[in-house]
Amino acid sequence: MSARVAVVIFPGTNSEEETLRLAQDVGIKAELVHWSRAATLPAYDAYILPGGFAYEDRIRAGAIPAHDPIMDSVIDGAQRGKLILGICNGAQILLEAGLVPGTGAVRVPTAAFTRNGPIPKFICERVNVRLSIDPGRCAITAALTKDALVPAWAAHGEGRLAASPQHLQELQIGNHIAFVYVNGAPNGSALDAAALTNIAGNVLAIMPHPERDGWGYNHLRENGSNHVLEASGGAVLFKSFAKALLA
Amino acid sequence: MPNFSIQTLTDAQLKEAARRAGLALRVDELRRIAHRLDRDPTLVEVHAFDAQWSEHCSYKSSRHLLKALPITGPTVMQGPAEDAGILHLGEFNGDRYGVVIAHESHNHPSQVVPFEGAATGVGGIVRDVLCMGAQLIAIADPLRFGRVEDPSSHQRYVGIGVVDGISAYGNAIGVPNIAGDVYFDEQFDENCLVNVIAIGLVKEPEIIHSAAPPNSAGWDIVLVGKATDTSGFGGAAFSSVTLDKEDKDANKGAVQVPDPFLKNVIMRATYRVFEYLRERKITAGFKDLGAGGIMGCSAELCSSGGFGAIIDLDDVNTALPNMPAPVIAIGETQERLCWVLPPDATAAVLQIYNEEFSLPQIAKGACAAVIGVVQKDLRYVLRCREEIVMDVPIEFLTGSIRDDPAFQPRPAAARPDPASSYMTCDAPVVDLLARVLAHRDVCSRKPMYKQYDTAVRGTTVIGRGESDAGVIAPIPGSTLGVALAVAGNPRYGQLDPRLSGEHAVCEAVRKVAAVGARPLGLTDCLNFGNPQKSDQYAELVAAIDGLATAARELAIPFVSGNVSLYNESKGGKAIPASPIVACVGALEDVGQAQSGEFRVGSCSLFRIGLPTNAFGGSVLAGVLGVDGGPPPAVDYDAELATLAALRQALATGSVRAVRAIGNGGLLATLAQMCFPSLDSEPVGLELQDLGLESFFSESGGFAVQVEDARALADVVNHFSFVRQIGRTTSEPGLTIEGLDKVDLHRLNEAWSMPLAEVFG
Repeated sequence: MSARVAVVIFPGTNSEEETLRLAQDVGIKAELVHWSRAATLPAYDAYILPGGFAYEDRIRAGAIPAHDPIMDSVIDGAQRGKLILGICNGAQILLEAGLVPGTGAVRVPTAAFTRNGPIPKFICERVNVRLSIDPGRCAITAALTKDALVPAWAAHGEGRLAASPQHLQELQIGNHIAFVYVNGAPNGSALDAAALTNIAGNVLAIMPHPERDGWGYNHLRENGSNHVLEASGGAVLFKSFAKALLA
Repeated sequence: MPNFSIQTLTDAQLKEAARRAGLALRVDELRRIAHRLDRDPTLVEVHAFDAQWSEHCSYKSSRHLLKALPITGPTVMQGPAEDAGILHLGEFNGDRYGVVIAHESHNHPSQVVPFEGAATGVGGIVRDVLCMGAQLIAIADPLRFGRVEDPSSHQRYVGIGVVDGISAYGNAIGVPNIAGDVYFDEQFDENCLVNVIAIGLVKEPEIIHSAAPPNSAGWDIVLVGKATDTSGFGGAAFSSVTLDKEDKDANKGAVQVPDPFLKNVIMRATYRVFEYLRERKITAGFKDLGAGGIMGCSAELCSSGGFGAIIDLDDVNTALPNMPAPVIAIGETQERLCWVLPPDATAAVLQIYNEEFSLPQIAKGACAAVIGVVQKDLRYVLRCREEIVMDVPIEFLTGSIRDDPAFQPRPAAARPDPASSYMTCDAPVVDLLARVLAHRDVCSRKPMYKQYDTAVRGTTVIGRGESDAGVIAPIPGSTLGVALAVAGNPRYGQLDPRLSGEHAVCEAVRKVAAVGARPLGLTDCLNFGNPQKSDQYAELVAAIDGLATAARELAIPFVSGNVSLYNESKGGKAIPASPIVACVGALEDVGQAQSGEFRVGSCSLFRIGLPTNAFGGSVLAGVLGVDGGPPPAVDYDAELATLAALRQALATGSVRAVRAIGNGGLLATLAQMCFPSLDSEPVGLELQDLGLESFFSESGGFAVQVEDARALADVVNHFSFVRQIGRTTSEPGLTIEGLDKVDLHRLNEAWSMPLAEVFG
């Protein structure tokens, strides 16, 4: 039986529809799981935490939802090796929950995506990110080619990776930085980091949105007018995720 | 409940009493109320009429003028009768889809508290579209600011706060911001304009109307959303009085407080309610709470269905105990909506909001609750603490009232004389281009719009700044596309209000055409001065006439709109006439959406449309500090032919990029089409020397990049105003015949810097 994937909706999530749609379009058996049905989460084989402003980004983006009981099932799943993909706000939640890089205790973050710099404002722009680990280092990127480029939209106010010098070194030594921004980070992120994975490589936290550049019509510049409805561009990451689910 | 004395007072006493009570109602209007009720009104009643009869709610000085606008046509699914209009987009999988569109202003609140004013503007327009049963698919925001250059000025504070407010609200609710424009002018120093447009998607049978359905007497009136608090009391009246700087703090109580987090959840809960009602084939009434609060919304819902209502204010969830009845009834607390539901559906709907989407846990006091009942008896009745605090004939409250201010028609600006030369200048073209690109009407808006999420929902084809109009593919699995653009140049408003209306329509239509879309319909927001002043009222009259003329000539209907009057400074000076127009377009195949940026080098460049010798209101005239003669006239035959020529050019399949020739003229437009390529594979320009008028006039038309010039031979033969003007190359730089090559990076910097310094 194919793996069932939950796209988890917190109060304040705003990217659930397109995330679900792209997952389904690349063949993933995904469904939305609303916070009112959080009790059903343990039954799923993998989780996607989509973008948004869960609990209004109070304190710091991801901080409150990381402590929501909804995350108990996700944390438990991560420890059991279930695949978990967090995008934007979902990535922020994974860092605040301590699942990524996973070098400290649960819910004690050792790194965080913080207020953009040097201009501390929300940014929305097209970016390309490059796979900066060996593809097999992270299960979700395993089907990508070495140095793969993934087009995406950076759309966040708090995407600047920040950690102590010691923890940043740990991220580099442990090959946790899964993607870097091509042409430099637009948000002041340390080491140009756009995405982090955990020690075991079953969890990926990526700030820019590949699902917003996931169909032909999102990037007519590359495609001409062919296949506008087909999953392409940023969908390459979702396709790799789909393959990992079969493994 | 104490009464508001009218019958025993003299006119002078009554005027003073109204002023002290903070009422915008005039003495004659107060007398009319007492006469009809045959008694003095209660305090609740007088505040209710104050809101309902405000310009903001009643359109009393504009409604009869708006009748001139064409509102019918094959694309109209619903004209301007409710909170939003609906245009026919197309069919997919056997369903007929409509685009719901609404257009509003939040000018006065934004001038006082910019962040909250702009954010609640977005919040309000989103509710207007939501309550038609639609899913929100995009927003747009035309802005007009004063001089923002001075870091310590209030205008700078307004500009930055408004952008932050739009960003904070729109981003959080997850609706992409795909279009907008901005102008800066000292005449907006004391009265900025913050317009906002929202569009939604609905299948025709699933449209919900803002009226109690037929045979709904006895049905429940359900209030959904934030706990009613003391914010936003007097909002409708506030937006209908001239801003007084010293009253700013007093006015702040009238400004609403935004909660995009709660709105995000309410929107999604409401989509779930739509699903529930569809499954059970239940017809309901639905309307958002705006001006006039609970009273305004519930009265209009029931009145437009031909019913009355009884509302029990004790059943309203309030943020504080013992709030005064007028504040509960009329205050404009944000994030609220009102349903009329058959009683057997009520429990399920309350369950969705209160339990499944847990509104009470999302925001303190937020919930859905039954607050009243639809009545056959045509009266509007409010109860509070065992007492009847309002009991009036409902049609007297909501029915149309009309003001006909006297005015002298405003003379039109002189028409340009084709034989004249209004613009001469010996400065090198390239120097002029650099100054035009750095001009406040032309320079890059990216420092502002990059703060707006233009890609959420994953449907964006052309986002902010990528062309003249935004384009989305809103229906999963369908190639149908929606384009959205806005226009309204205040420089023309200053010179000739009627002409500014005509230009606004033509420009918005051109922008939608430039991305390859078929224009479906229009909305307008009429931002004007004080209708009680004859010269300012004359501007409104003239501009509406201009809008109507252009829409008729181009055969594109208006389906919704808004009027914002009393936009003037304390000194009584009105803003430039500002009819702001939005145009929605349709694409059968979003794959055919045209780029607004050069992405390939060796191609030919064409201009479609003729330049004008009239430079009034142009950027070049502004740069040179001259008047430039009269503003360009509008020639509808030429306009229609230009649009036809573009369609024919696009049909060849050889076109690679298009823009409408915008502010600053042809040369500035071409430069902006080059700039995005400079970071990767630069595209250069080689142009014939077309002369000052061709390079800088703002008469409309299009700049078109064509892969194979021969493909356009038929178009060139058929339309005398289509001509080749040069080529794009893979060699970076701008070369104009006979002149030295210019570095486009330098021009890009001139264009990029001015607003980066302000908006960061």
